[in-house]
Amino acid sequence: MASFILQTDKLCKSFSNGGTMQHVIKNLDLGIEAGDFTIIMGSSGSGKSTLLYALSGMDKPGMGKVIFDGKEIQDFSNDELAVFRRGNCGFVFQSIYLLENQTVLDNVLTGALIVQKNSTDLVEKAKTLLTKTGLHEEDFKKFPNQLSGGEAQRVGIVRAVINEPKILFADEPTGQLNSSSSKDVLDIFTEVHKNGQSIVMVTHDIKTALRGTRVLYLRDGGIVGDYRMAPYGEDDLKERRAGLTEFLDQMGW
Amino acid sequence: MKILRLSLFNLKKNKREAIGIAILTFFTTLMLAIAAANHAKVDKVFDECFAESGSKDYAILFRGDKYRNAFKDVLHDDYGVGTVAEGRMLSAPMIDTYSPDGDTVSYNYTFVTEKTERKLEDFLKRDELPDEEIAELEHPIWLPVNFQIVKDYHLGDDFTIFAGGKEFEFVIAGFYETGLMCSDGWGFKTVISDEDYDTLTGLFTSSTDCEGVLLMFDSTESFDYDEYLEKCSEVAAEDISLNTRKNYVEEEKTNESSFLSIYMLMIVALSMVTFVASLFMIRHKISNDIEDQMQQIGVLEALGYRSREISLAYLYEYVIAGSAGAILGAIVEIITTPALNKGISMMLGRSVQGSSDILSVVLVTVLIIVAVVVFALLKARTVKNYPPVIALRKGIKTHNFSKNFLPLEKSKINVNLALSLKGLFGNLKSCIGIVICIVTAGTALLFSALTFDCFKDGAGGLISMMGIDTDMIFVDVMDNVDTEWAREEILKLPGVRKVLIRHDGDYLSVKGSSEAAVATVFDDFSEAENINPFLGRCPERDNEVMIGRRRSESECIEIGDSILLEHNGIEKKYLVTGIIGSLHNGGSTVYLTSEGYERIVIDAKPRLISVYPEPGVSLTELEETVAAHFGGTAKDAELDLASIEDPDERIKAAAEAKIAILLSQYGVTDVDYAVRIGDRLITGNSRNFVIKEIRSYEGITKTQLVPIGETTRTFTFLALFLIAGIVGVILSIISSSEVRRQRLSLGIMKGLGYSSKDLMTQIAMKFMPVIVLSVIIASVCVVFVNEFFWGALFATVADTSIPVIILVDILLILFCYGVTYLSAGRIKKISVNELMTE
Repeated sequence: MASFILQTDKLCKSFSNGGTMQHVIKNLDLGIEAGDFTIIMGSSGSGKSTLLYALSGMDKPGMGKVIFDGKEIQDFSNDELAVFRRGNCGFVFQSIYLLENQTVLDNVLTGALIVQKNSTDLVEKAKTLLTKTGLHEEDFKKFPNQLSGGEAQRVGIVRAVINEPKILFADEPTGQLNSSSSKDVLDIFTEVHKNGQSIVMVTHDIKTALRGTRVLYLRDGGIVGDYRMAPYGEDDLKERRAGLTEFLDQMGW
Repeated sequence: MKILRLSLFNLKKNKREAIGIAILTFFTTLMLAIAAANHAKVDKVFDECFAESGSKDYAILFRGDKYRNAFKDVLHDDYGVGTVAEGRMLSAPMIDTYSPDGDTVSYNYTFVTEKTERKLEDFLKRDELPDEEIAELEHPIWLPVNFQIVKDYHLGDDFTIFAGGKEFEFVIAGFYETGLMCSDGWGFKTVISDEDYDTLTGLFTSSTDCEGVLLMFDSTESFDYDEYLEKCSEVAAEDISLNTRKNYVEEEKTNESSFLSIYMLMIVALSMVTFVASLFMIRHKISNDIEDQMQQIGVLEALGYRSREISLAYLYEYVIAGSAGAILGAIVEIITTPALNKGISMMLGRSVQGSSDILSVVLVTVLIIVAVVVFALLKARTVKNYPPVIALRKGIKTHNFSKNFLPLEKSKINVNLALSLKGLFGNLKSCIGIVICIVTAGTALLFSALTFDCFKDGAGGLISMMGIDTDMIFVDVMDNVDTEWAREEILKLPGVRKVLIRHDGDYLSVKGSSEAAVATVFDDFSEAENINPFLGRCPERDNEVMIGRRRSESECIEIGDSILLEHNGIEKKYLVTGIIGSLHNGGSTVYLTSEGYERIVIDAKPRLISVYPEPGVSLTELEETVAAHFGGTAKDAELDLASIEDPDERIKAAAEAKIAILLSQYGVTDVDYAVRIGDRLITGNSRNFVIKEIRSYEGITKTQLVPIGETTRTFTFLALFLIAGIVGVILSIISSSEVRRQRLSLGIMKGLGYSSKDLMTQIAMKFMPVIVLSVIIASVCVVFVNEFFWGALFATVADTSIPVIILVDILLILFCYGVTYLSAGRIKKISVNELMTE
C-alpha cells in the first residue's frame, strides 16, 4: 500500500447559496504521495480551489477527514490550523498576494519568521532562493508594486518554500501572468519538485498541467479521472502533451 | 442620486463609526448646552433673587464701638451715595447647629432683628408658618431660602444654635430671600426677635465675632472699600479696617456660584474632549473611506463628477450622524431641565425654576453641527488631490515608493512586534490624530483621576490644601490655668498623640494690602502636619514670614521680598521665606514663628493648646476625653442637669454651668458662689474649671468641605467612566477599521500561518507606541493642568500624586491594549477562503 502524505476520507464541502445548499465536494477519497507533483484540473466551478483549500487546512471540510502526514486536521480550530500550516504547507496564489507595504525580502521573511528564528542564515537562505528564481540583489528592497507579475510570483514561490513545507500548494499560479513569465514560474516549480518537494497545484492550463506527475480531474465534486506522467523533462514533451490531451478529452475538457 | 447613494452606503457600511460620531456629538452638545443654558441661568436667577430681596449692592459692618455717624457722611459726600440703610447686625463665624439629621454642623451666621431687616431689605418671605403659629413661638427664626433648598430644613423645625456653651432652640418660622447674605461667605443672615438678638449679642463676644452697625447702599460709581475705610479711619482718627466686615453683590455672586462655575468649567472641558474625539473620528473615517473607495472615486471622476460633488458624498453622512447626535443632546438637555434646575438650586442655594434657555441650546446645537460639517467638508475636500488617473492607481501619485521601515532582516525582536512596528512607522502621519485624541482624553482622565484621588475620602483633598493643621482640637484654657501643666495633663490622656502650646493668631494688617491677615503661629513649623510650602520654606526666625499663594500672586510678593505687618499701631517688617497654597481664610493667612508673632503682638501669651489624636481616634472622642478629664464643660453640665436627682447636686451643677458661661464668654476670671436654702448653705467656686472652650474644624469640615468633596468625587468618578468610554470607543473603532482596511493583508498572513491571536496582537501592538507616547505626554500635561486648575481657581497647590499618575498610566495603557486587542477580534472572521480564485 502506498504511503500517502495527504489523504481524504469521504470529504464533503458545501456552501449556502441564497438559502440553498450547494454541495461542491462530495464524499471525495484521495491520497497524495510524498514527492508527487499533483495537478488538479476541472471545469470552472468544479470545486478545484475548494478542494485545494480543504486539503491544505486553509478551510475546514463540512464532513469527512483530511489526514495530513498522519494527522487528522479536519477538527482543528482556525488557530490550530494556522499553527499547523506554518511548518507543513506553503501557498502560491493566483493573485500572488504579496504584502503591499513590505519589500520583497520582508515578504519572504514574514513567512519565515513565524516558524524560524531570525538569523543571518535565514536571511541568506531567503536571498539565495530569490536569486535562484532570477531576482537580483537590487530587487530585494523593492515593494510589490515595483515588480512585474512574473517577478512578484517568484517572490510568492520563495515565500511559500522558505519554510521547506511538506506540501507546496499552488492555486492557478500562472493565471495572471503572460506566457513568458508563466514559463519562468513553471520552471521554478519544476526545479523545486526535482529537489523533492511535494506539490499540489490547481490549474486549467494544459502547459501548466504538463509539469505535474499526476493529474486529477474533478467533476461534480468528485474525482473522475486520475492520470499519471513521468517527471517533467524525463520523457518526450510531444508524447506527454498528447497523452495528457487525450486524457482531458476523455474527461470532457 | 449616485452621490447620495455612496454617502448612504458609507453610512451603512461603517455603522459603528457613524454611531460613534453620533454618540460623541451627543455628549458634546449635551454638556455644552448644559453649560451654556445654565451659566446664563445662574446669573439670571441670582440677579432676580437679588432684585426681589430689595438688597443694596454694598454692605459694611462696623464694630459697634468703632462706628461713627460721620462714616455715612463720607458715603454721601465723597461717593454720591443717596440712601444708606442702617441697622445693627451681629456677625459670628463657625457657629455650630444641628442639621435636620441631628449632626452637628458649622456655618458662618449673621443675625438681625425683623425691624432691622425691613430697613435693610424687603424681607421677602418665600415660605412661612401661619401668623397665629408664629405668634405662639417663643424663639422664632427666619432663615435664608438656602436652608430650605439645600440643607433640607422645614417650617416648624427646631433650629438649635450652640452659643456660650449653651443650646439655643429656635423654631423655624419661615424662609426668606436675602441678597448679600445667602451664603456661607460672610454668613447666612437670620432674622430673630429683639430679645433673642440681645441674648446672642451677649454671648458672641469673641475676637472673631462682631456686633455693630451695618450700612447698606447702592453706588452708581465703582466703590472702593479700601479707599472708603481709609477715609473712615481718618475721620475716626484710628485704623478701623480690622473692625469691619464687608460684602458686595459681585462677591456674593462669586461665593454662591463659585463651585457651580468650576463644575461648569469642568463640563465644558469634558465637552471639548468629546468634541476633539468626534472630530478625530470624522477625520479617521473620511480618510479611510476615501482610501477604500479611491478607485470608485476615480471612476466617478472619469464619468464627469467634479471633486466637489464627490466631496459632498462624504458630507451627507456627517450631517446625518452629527445632527442626530447634536439634536438628541439638545433634546436631552431640555428634557432634563427640571433635574438640572434642582441640582443647580442645591449648589446655588437659590430657587431655580423655569424652562431651559432654548436659544442657548439651539445656538450650541447649530454650532456643533456647523463645526462638524465644516470639519468634515475640509477633510472631504482632499478628494480633489486625487485626479482620475491617480485615484484609479489607488492614490499613488508618483513612482517614489515608501521607505522600508525596520527591515525584518535586521530585526531581532519577536516577529509580531516587528510587524506591528513596521505597520506603525510606515504610516506615522495617521497617528497624529490618535496622539491628539489620546493626549486630550488622557489628560482629562488623569486630571479626573487625580481629583478623584484627592477627594476619595471626602474632604481629605481639600483639607490637605487648607494650609493649616485641621486634624486636632484647640483647647482654650482659663486665664488662671498654667498652660504647661494643662499640656502635661492632656499628654497623659489616652488617644492623645501630640500636644502643642500655641498663640491664637489675631488679625494683622498688611501694609499696602487691602486684605487683613490672620496669623497662624507655631514655635517650630516642623511640628505642623499640614503646612507645606510649595516654594521656599516655613519661617524659622522672628523676622521671617510665609504667605499664601493668592496673596503672593495678587500682590506680587515673592520670596526674598519684605512685607510690613501692623497690629495696634505697631509695625514690623518681615522677610518672606516661603509661599504656601492655602485655602484657609481665602489664602490671606500669614505664617509666623511665636517669636515673630510676639514682636508685633507684644502682649501675646501662648494659651491655645493644640491636641493631636492618635490614629483612629476621632476629634469628637478626643474632645470628650479632654472635657471629661477636666471636669466637663458648661454644655455637659447643662445637658446632665435634668438627670441629677439630688436637689443639692442639681443646684451645684446649675451653678457650675452659669460659672462656665461667665468664664468663657464674659472675661470673668474668678467666681465664688453661695446658695442658702433654709439652714443649708451650698457653696462653690470657679477654681475647678480649667477649660474655657474646645474647638475643632470638624464642624466646618463636615458642612462645607465634605459636600464639596463628595460632589467633586462623584463628578470626577462619572467623568472617569465617560472619558474611559470615549477612549474605548475611539480605539475600538480605530482597531476594527484597521482590521477592515487590512483585511487582505491579514488574510494573506493567515494563509502564511499567523493565527488570529498573532494578528490581534500585531494590531494591538501597532498602536501601543503611539498610545504609550500619548499617555506620557498626557502625564506631563496633567501636571500643568492640575497646577493651573488649583492655582488659578483656588490659589492653592494640589498634590499631583505621581503614584496615581503612574498607576492610571499603566491602567490606561492596559485598557487601551485590551480594547484594541479585543476590537481586532474581527480578524477571527477573516477567512483565508477570501483568497480563493473561485
